[in-house]
Amino acid sequence: MGSDVFFLAEFSDGAPARSALELAAGAARIAGESGGAAVALAYGPGAAKGAAGLGAHGAKRAIVLGDDPAPAITYSGSAAAAVKAGEPLVVLAPATPNGRDLAAALVGLLGLPAFGPARAISVAGGRIRSEQGTLQGTVITLSEPADGAPSPAVVLVLANTFAPTEPGGGQAEVSQAEAAQTPFGAAMIVESHAEQAAAVNLEEATMIVAGGRGVGSEDGFAILRDLAAALGGAVGASRAAADAGWVPYQLQIGQTGKVVKPALYLGVGISGAIQHRVGMQSAENVVAINKDPDAPIGEFADLFVVADLFAIVPKLTEEIRRRKGN
Amino acid sequence: MKIVVCIKQVPATAAEKRYTSDLRLDRSASENVINPLDEYAVEQALRLQESGAVENVSYLSMGPAQAGEALRRAMAMGGDDAFLVTDDALAGADEWATARVLAAALDKLAPDVSLMGMASDDARGSLVPGAVAAIRGLPLLSYASELRLEGNTARIRRLNASGFDIIEAPLPVVASVTDQVGEPRYASLKGIMAARRKTLETWSLADLGLSAAGVQGGALTRVVEARAPEAKPPTERIENVGADEAVTKIADWLAARKLI
Repeated sequence: MGSDVFFLAEFSDGAPARSALELAAGAARIAGESGGAAVALAYGPGAAKGAAGLGAHGAKRAIVLGDDPAPAITYSGSAAAAVKAGEPLVVLAPATPNGRDLAAALVGLLGLPAFGPARAISVAGGRIRSEQGTLQGTVITLSEPADGAPSPAVVLVLANTFAPTEPGGGQAEVSQAEAAQTPFGAAMIVESHAEQAAAVNLEEATMIVAGGRGVGSEDGFAILRDLAAALGGAVGASRAAADAGWVPYQLQIGQTGKVVKPALYLGVGISGAIQHRVGMQSAENVVAINKDPDAPIGEFADLFVVADLFAIVPKLTEEIRRRKGN
Repeated sequence: MKIVVCIKQVPATAAEKRYTSDLRLDRSASENVINPLDEYAVEQALRLQESGAVENVSYLSMGPAQAGEALRRAMAMGGDDAFLVTDDALAGADEWATARVLAAALDKLAPDVSLMGMASDDARGSLVPGAVAAIRGLPLLSYASELRLEGNTARIRRLNASGFDIIEAPLPVVASVTDQVGEPRYASLKGIMAARRKTLETWSLADLGLSAAGVQGGALTRVVEARAPEAKPPTERIENVGADEAVTKIADWLAARKLI
């Protein structure tokens, strides 16, 4: 069993995703515990050029899997080959659809133990130990590879589990993965549609203002966007708001949307159904504004404001701008 | 054209959950249902059957004998028959073991599309569809908000960062769907009656040519600790005050935590 910590580093439009920077920092930290090195498995448009730059965020080496805008799982053959050759202790994958697809393929192709989505990772007695919330977060479990389990462990990691480190000066040593064909290559993107300008990636925002059914309309979201801008954050939504067509599904937080872990989650006109809660319960601070004093979100928010959102939100935006001095 | 929908029986969302002394979920302690996200896969399959694109819809589950109830409920929604893989060696199965067993059962059933929900309610790893595809050597079409079958091709719509992609693969494929494929139907009384007459076949590991050793006793992972989440301090409430006062209090609260 090796001691290196591999991590999936997704690129798009020539730049690493925030998840790649977070996992670089996390991999460097875990590698410090295991006595190995952080190694990136870089893929997606811009990976070949940008992989060396991951050195500034904690990666010692980077293995480029491919540079095409193909479904991420296409790279699983070369990822599996790199993992077999490199014998790491663990492979970290972001708990995003692409990250999960690639992680799943590694688990299936190589027969590996799988963990997560983790909210903390450590090394105990030479084994990886993953902490995750299961059963809608009602139970926290700590898991590790069973005796005799093959290595490496594959661990899905929630966004904002690790904070990217301030870029240093280092460059990762870059190599090219050996090309490997798998049946996954038969799935191809035949059309790609952009419906709106790419918003801030919700999973990567540290401040989130989320709106629900109580916001009432597409226009109602304008005041939420102002508040999010004042906070320096992003707008999210419940499934009800996305189903109503007020915001695109890319902004949906919850079981079937994004799983977020921001420093501040401010829920506006959101009742807090369990399906939404599982998407935001790892937020460090939860504030809710709802006119229903019995809304379920009032039971797990840190601060619950019983009020009409339309009376509060514009004034709160103003007050935050005033205090920030602009 | 044939679809097999994979179904997991899970504890109902609102049900109380307990872990047994060996840190496995005590599935006898709670009310069990079809994993809600798997119902969308059932719905997608039945819509394809109704449109004539698919002749046969079967269901497959791995779990204890009581998981047969989930298969009966799925057959009450529609479809033709069901298969349950149940074996003592599979108690506590992890993602890899589950994928290994489902893959073997799907090899035997040989559908054009092996269809699953995008995640399970209880674990949410979302790894089983991709791992099954890898083990079976088939393309994966995951997180589909719509699945279409045309000729020898499966085509899905899948959200991307700013819109959506159309992704295609030649059949057979493994696919997973989101809750955007359409609301699952309720089982009618007629459907429930009809489901009683549909075939539910039970398979052991040996029936699939697998052994307990071959699936590593069901798991490559083990739970070393299960505990309740950290208790949070009680919710602070702001109510029955004017908007200006409420706003000042919220801003103070945020400032005290260095959020503004």
